[in-house]
Amino acid sequence: MTTVAADSGELGARPAGEPAGGKGLKTGALGLMSSLVIGVASTAPAYSLAASLGFVTLVVGLYAPAVMLVAFVPMLFIAAAYFYLNRADPDCGTTFTWVTRSIGPRSGWMSGWGILVTDLVVMPSLASIAGQYTFSLFGAHGVANDSSGFWVTFVGVVWIVVMTAICYIGIELSARTQVALLGAELVILTIFAVVALAKVYGGHIAHSLHPSWQWINPTKISVAELSVGMLTAVFIYWGWDTAVTVNEESKDAKRTPGVAALLSTLVLLAIYMIVSVAAQAFHGPGFLTNHSTDILNALSKDVLGSPWDKLLIIAVLTSASASTQTTILPAGRSALSMAVHKAFPPRFASIHPRHLSPGFSTLLFGAVSVVWYVGLTLLSPGVVLANSVLALGFGISFYYGMTGFACVIYYRRFLFKSVKNFVFIGLAPLLGGAMLAAMFLISIFYYSNPANSAQTGQAWFKFVHFSFRIFHWHIYVTKGVSPILVIGVGLLALGAPLMLIWRIGHADFFRRSREAAESLHGSAPPLTPGVIPVTD
Amino acid sequence: MPGDVVLGYDGSEGSKAALRTAVAVAKAFDAPLTIVFGYEPNPMGGETADYKKQLERIGNGYLADALAQVTALDPTVRAEAIVAPLRPAESLLEAAVEREARVIVVGGSGERPILGAILGSVPHKLLHRSTVPVLVVPTPEE
Repeated sequence: MTTVAADSGELGARPAGEPAGGKGLKTGALGLMSSLVIGVASTAPAYSLAASLGFVTLVVGLYAPAVMLVAFVPMLFIAAAYFYLNRADPDCGTTFTWVTRSIGPRSGWMSGWGILVTDLVVMPSLASIAGQYTFSLFGAHGVANDSSGFWVTFVGVVWIVVMTAICYIGIELSARTQVALLGAELVILTIFAVVALAKVYGGHIAHSLHPSWQWINPTKISVAELSVGMLTAVFIYWGWDTAVTVNEESKDAKRTPGVAALLSTLVLLAIYMIVSVAAQAFHGPGFLTNHSTDILNALSKDVLGSPWDKLLIIAVLTSASASTQTTILPAGRSALSMAVHKAFPPRFASIHPRHLSPGFSTLLFGAVSVVWYVGLTLLSPGVVLANSVLALGFGISFYYGMTGFACVIYYRRFLFKSVKNFVFIGLAPLLGGAMLAAMFLISIFYYSNPANSAQTGQAWFKFVHFSFRIFHWHIYVTKGVSPILVIGVGLLALGAPLMLIWRIGHADFFRRSREAAESLHGSAPPLTPGVIPVTD
Repeated sequence: MPGDVVLGYDGSEGSKAALRTAVAVAKAFDAPLTIVFGYEPNPMGGETADYKKQLERIGNGYLADALAQVTALDPTVRAEAIVAPLRPAESLLEAAVEREARVIVVGGSGERPILGAILGSVPHKLLHRSTVPVLVVPTPEE
């Protein structure tokens, strides 16, 4: 099937005057509610808490709620950048496309690589949570606790394979089912928090603490701890940018997604505050750090009691399923977009003729995820979740940060036209980007310290031995490198040589010049003009 | 007086069989034939503008091919093609309403019933939701 009659919708037998390209049909309009649901479901609150709360507590102790609150700030600022950039170009390459336009093709390529790497790094944590919670659901706690054991890994691999197949074939839940699942997830989390707090105030729970306003006071901890904690905590807000991205289907395509993104962050903020406060009030922070790999499972047994604790486990699993899909789908689409704009081999742009998914990209991402998950399990037994969750913040900060800077640079001609522009298009994205960049750099120093990276009890490349000093910051790698740094920063850095290799013989993409926004409200011209090659 | 014969077409063998039947039905009733290709990327995955462009292009390719087949089978049948940014079943239901269709013609997916139920079969959805008659054409045996 190769014959395409005309560029867009104008087919030979169409009577004159008929609308082209299906414009005669009502399109699937997504309202604010649907955008909001997609945004929050993509962020996967139950899964995010299950995966990260223990590790945030590990870094900052009692101040986890404060860190979660503060981590919201850069994410909110970056939301503004997503909102404005999305208006100009709702391309599925997102940050890749925006950074390529505004900062340049090399930075754009690295940002696209950053998206793909970040999607890859999160997969082992999704798979291991899915594996552990599946066994917990059926009461096989012994199997579930062996997080690097054969059975948990096996179920994790099956999870990735099934989720990849779902994305490849294009199976979707109806909007109504999604609303129901997300509603259930939020209700169960709220019930969990309320019951936990009621028991703390009403009874004699071991090691319980009464919540204190100090818990949300970030000035109680050092800048380094705050940065590292935030680097872990940004993960809980990650994915909500999907709410900005449901643009064309939206009834008011230019506004709805942005408003949805902002509202969904507020919903998330509320749920994270109440659950993290309740979780550490119940048994104290020590319990959270001791059960960092299956925190909600361990807590729900005491808070809700059998069989109601299974509700929370099911919520974590449905949440992880949404999160896995919203990792695989954008990964395939980012690769598709990069290939369409000639930044990746054309193979990645191929679309399955029947399922209409970016078939090659999706399957390859699934396959690489399985290899990565199994490999990481073999390399770092017992700390797969810790290594993945702690490393993830580097990738997120990198490409969200780039999005913030891209917004300021792209709209540079409009920044000083009004106070509103200056604040929302200039200051907020710039501050968001700067905060994420600072967290990124401070965390490198933090994890280069063997005492801190020892949290996961591991070092890779043990022959590596060096130290240097920048101002009063000291990097001293003495007994190898923390896996967190290798995964979080090393995989990002790997993009640079790959980009140079791709550049040989494919210099067209890298020759494009930088653009600035022509208007504040209009769409940008296509990034790559001309025919988009389709390989079936 | 009911209007068009609405045909779902996605380039598959089943939809080609449906096309042959739809042409015969359109001719018998002297009704216009509307050929629909529906697609909608999962909104869970985020941005879709350029991805959709690719899908539209593929759909246009399928539809150009379908129109050529119609002309080859019977040049007197008036056929029109629509690429709709909706899920396949939704696009057919929507087209049926807009064109006041007398019948929707689709190919049987050829999938086993349980698999079809899991994957979401278009004929299955249409049979439950359509307000006009639905004609499901079996895929010819190899």
